[in-house]
Amino acid sequence: MFLNSQKALLKSDGTRLDDRLPSHVRPAFLKTGAVSVAAGSAYAEFGSTKVIVSVYGPRESKKAQAFSDIGRLNCDVKFTSFATPLRGKAGQDVSDKEFSVLLHKALEDAVDLHSFPKTTVDVFALVLQSGGGDLPAIITCASLALADAGIVMHDIVAAISLSCVGKDLLLDPTYKEESQQDGSVFIALMTSRREITQVTFTGEWSSTKASEALELCCDACVKLGEVMRVCLKEDAAEATEDT
Amino acid sequence: MSQDEGIESATGAKDVASSMEVEAFRRLFPVQYIERYLDASVRPDGRPLGRARPTDVVLGQVPTTDGSALVKLGNTTMLAGVKLELCVPSGESPDQGRIAVDFQMPPICSPHVRPGRPAEDACSINEQLSNVLASAQLLDLRELLITSGKSAWVANLDIYCLNADGSLFDAALLACAAALTDLQIPGVAIDDDGKVQIVSPSGDQDQHMLDAEKVSDESKSRRIDKRRLTLGPVPVALTCMLHKKHILADPTAEEETYLQTTVTVAMDSSDKLISLYKPGGLIVATTSTIMDCIALTRIRLKEVNRILIEAAQVKAGD
Repeated sequence: MFLNSQKALLKSDGTRLDDRLPSHVRPAFLKTGAVSVAAGSAYAEFGSTKVIVSVYGPRESKKAQAFSDIGRLNCDVKFTSFATPLRGKAGQDVSDKEFSVLLHKALEDAVDLHSFPKTTVDVFALVLQSGGGDLPAIITCASLALADAGIVMHDIVAAISLSCVGKDLLLDPTYKEESQQDGSVFIALMTSRREITQVTFTGEWSSTKASEALELCCDACVKLGEVMRVCLKEDAAEATEDT
Repeated sequence: MSQDEGIESATGAKDVASSMEVEAFRRLFPVQYIERYLDASVRPDGRPLGRARPTDVVLGQVPTTDGSALVKLGNTTMLAGVKLELCVPSGESPDQGRIAVDFQMPPICSPHVRPGRPAEDACSINEQLSNVLASAQLLDLRELLITSGKSAWVANLDIYCLNADGSLFDAALLACAAALTDLQIPGVAIDDDGKVQIVSPSGDQDQHMLDAEKVSDESKSRRIDKRRLTLGPVPVALTCMLHKKHILADPTAEEETYLQTTVTVAMDSSDKLISLYKPGGLIVATTSTIMDCIALTRIRLKEVNRILIEAAQVKAGD
């Protein structure tokens, strides 16, 4: 086991274990309308990370909640028990609560809460398989699901993470790369406005390295945003053809 | 609703129906909306009354499990995964492993499930699944044994409902059966103290070599290669909705909401009735209605067995 953990994450030719360059993201698959009974939904696949998000509402707020003039966004993240190699390791209370809060914070500023006063929009996520970069996958997928539900947003939100291993910056890390990281960055970005709704740095970063990492992430988010727009357009066109 | 009121609203509905848009009629008079279709012997989604929705089974979708299946029954979607863990057999049955069934309805699957509290449906379906799997002869728990009284496998069978559009129990049971078909039990090495070590699946070559060396050193140790279970006849369930004189097989969520009486029949391919479940409802079912439901289940059974065989062939072909 000790030998395994010391294994290099970069091969001699500079590519990663899955043949990507350090600055390349994993192949992504996005599709809206995965859950037919929801107001809007999306399925996202980034490498082996697989997520479903469905959106319900706007609907009546829970009675227990205090009165609010503007709308409310209610987020909840769950993991399947077989999402991780060890059964039930992910998503035990603390980490999915934290993810729920982070998802809420990342989307809150992008959604126009004034467009559904006094009501609640529920955003529920289920991680089917956790393969690294779970939170960015959830946020990206949730943003697609909100768009699919026709909730008014200022912009779509794309999110991505980056791991710093030694002196290398690895964009969109896998589970294995994440487990060996010395530091990490995670950002959620409104792609056309280029405004960051959420950013976290962990570990030790020099200011030059930090700005380089941020630059990489922003560019990747903008590209991801374009892919999301294409996905929305295609799925909308498909839906109108069907009817 | 009393019978008189029912008739009144029905005639009221007829009057306005001509001047109303279909979607509005559907929302305001849902029962009458469905009845109009039923009178013409067809369902709102275009199916004949006795036919189940198109069914898809895909095996082995989740690599982090020992066996998994994704099942689509119309829009209803279930994802089932089996994960094996080592355990000590209980004192009462030292020659058996265990199976633990857990059916979950996460909030993504339906507008009626809110986070925090488990859905009522989920609890009752979980109970039914455990009962049917325990009384059906699909799985012989003795096959999960490694060493008598010392070690066995516990199969954690978790089923997640991803999209709840009616007939959840039927889809969940199919997902269970399919995931168990896909289940592969890893090879193990047992040393003379009865300690069990899992021989890693082919992916991790180093570990594999290591184990092989270790095993050859210890002469008394025993090896069991990776294997599949020999499964008995597959139990298949069909939910039927009773409404007036009609029997609707495999109802959607809309039909389940507005028509109230269901009968769920589970049988296996040796033509044995495993369970019959009719939880209350407005209509008192007669014996002949129940026999009709059983006949429909028999037809469905053939279909489902064919679908399972095809799914296994597709998996083997990959």
